[in-house]
Amino acid sequence: MAESEEEVDVLVQRVVKDINNAFKKNPNIDEIGLIPCPEARYNRSPIVLVENKLGMESWCVKFLLPFVHNKLLLYRQRKQWLDREALIDITCTLLLLNPDFTTAWNVRRWVLQQVLRQCRPRAAEQKEPGEVELGGAQGSPPNERLRRVLRDEMKVCAEAAGRYPSNYNAWSHRIWVLQNLAKGNLKILYDELSSMKLWVSTHVSDHSGFHYRQFLMKALVAELSRATDASCGPSQDLHRSHWPNGDGVGPAAAEESRTASVPELFGKELELCTDLIETYPGHETLWCHRRHVFFLWYHWRKEQSQDVGRQPSLLNHTDETLSGSLGASAGRNVQAMDVDLALEESKQTSYTQDSKRLKRGPLQLRPGLPSEHSFVTKILSGCRSPEQGRFAAAYRKWLDSVIGQ
Amino acid sequence: MKLYSLSVLYKGINKSNLLKAAYDLSSFSFFQRSSVQEFMTFTSALIVERSSTGTRSSIKEQEYLCHVYVRNDSLGGVVIADGEYPSRVCFTLLDKVLDEFSRQVDSIDWPSGSPATISYTALDSYLAKYQNPREADAMTKVQAELDETKIILHNTMESLLERGEKLDDLVQKSEHLGTQSKAFYKTARKQNSCCEVM
Repeated sequence: MAESEEEVDVLVQRVVKDINNAFKKNPNIDEIGLIPCPEARYNRSPIVLVENKLGMESWCVKFLLPFVHNKLLLYRQRKQWLDREALIDITCTLLLLNPDFTTAWNVRRWVLQQVLRQCRPRAAEQKEPGEVELGGAQGSPPNERLRRVLRDEMKVCAEAAGRYPSNYNAWSHRIWVLQNLAKGNLKILYDELSSMKLWVSTHVSDHSGFHYRQFLMKALVAELSRATDASCGPSQDLHRSHWPNGDGVGPAAAEESRTASVPELFGKELELCTDLIETYPGHETLWCHRRHVFFLWYHWRKEQSQDVGRQPSLLNHTDETLSGSLGASAGRNVQAMDVDLALEESKQTSYTQDSKRLKRGPLQLRPGLPSEHSFVTKILSGCRSPEQGRFAAAYRKWLDSVIGQ
Repeated sequence: MKLYSLSVLYKGINKSNLLKAAYDLSSFSFFQRSSVQEFMTFTSALIVERSSTGTRSSIKEQEYLCHVYVRNDSLGGVVIADGEYPSRVCFTLLDKVLDEFSRQVDSIDWPSGSPATISYTALDSYLAKYQNPREADAMTKVQAELDETKIILHNTMESLLERGEKLDDLVQKSEHLGTQSKAFYKTARKQNSCCEVM
């Protein structure tokens, strides 16, 4: 059925109008999906509304997508105006149809930047562009709005990530949002690390999910290192990591999060990696993640030992608060770790069954070359999957050639 | 890491019949679910038909892995999972389900049974429980019992078919698939992207 350009235009305008009307009719629509339908039925709208699900017959997509894409481009080129709601609708539609659509994410980030500009308090003019104080002293409405925006963005990213394995765009958007809306916020970084644990445990070959954890680790290490370097006391950092309007997080908990040391952070991450590698043999992503984490740890240790004069105790103390470790002798090797130290992680442990793990054997608490080598040996001796064997051997080779100089 | 379907079938002389099935289609978009379910039924039945009794196999088809166990008494089970879900746990699940089914449902009823006539209700809860392979706590048991070298691996559905048989023909003839699903399959094949619309 050949259609002229005018007919296509009319058709698409009608379809977009049908979609708008559907949203007006049912503001609770939570899903737009494609109905496998290769041919159009005469004069029937391709838009179907069933409860909270909006369906689009597949034949119309090849007309709709170029139209919406074009509209977005015209907007970006300033040749056609779209109000904020229309923009959000269009980017949502595009993302739902194709979660990997880069331009839509870019426009979304552009809109968020406008929101940030509106929310930035006057006093923050001095700060670097993009950096916003979320823990504002007055706890004013802009922070509430930003918090909601942050939550919404995380939700959009999570949904997009679930639809498409290794959805690079969804995850890089998530990183961007954290870098711009939650810069330096320890609590959020810890929360993200904790809440993502379950996700990566059920998506063990999704590299983007693990890459996100690597980003969080880097950010946390930077923040924690900065916090210990700061000669001004804890009060300034509390200000940064404390959410206003009470999230049930009092100053004590914030202090606790901040003082969880870097070695402990690495220990826990390697522990998670070990657990997943042992439970799900043969996934290269897990081994790649291990490499990243161990390399980060190795690099951090190297940096720390170069600043010998400053805080040598950080290397050796895993269970003392930062305020208490100053002045302790370097070279002391504390083995024991307070495994009951409750961080946000306790929220999500039901999946990994912490108590069982404790009984399984000694926890890998202090990352190091010897423990990595014994981990590889253990895997190789018990493994029944040829891929797992290959990955373990490759990891050992990497340890020898890159790390063990 | 997902399980999509769990089915119990009887392998008859010429064809297999579905006795009971459970599906988790929550990760598929709402409007595609009925087609997806039909294709999963079609696939499960075909796999059991083409598998010999007393064998276990894993068949890869796009991003799905279908695990099948056909017992010597012709009772068969199929799990359709994604590529991440550990296959050992699937085979444990199949052993367990078929064992329980055979004790609860008389073998007299198998050759002529259908989901409407068979009363076995545990499949839905097994499917839900095993979505989390660790919660199901099956992992340690399987290490000891299952001899993985005996599991036959297929890289495509096509390798199950007889020489000269075409999957397209089987789809067109199938009674498990409605007209819309068949039409959709035809278009998707033309575009060389089965079940992928974009």
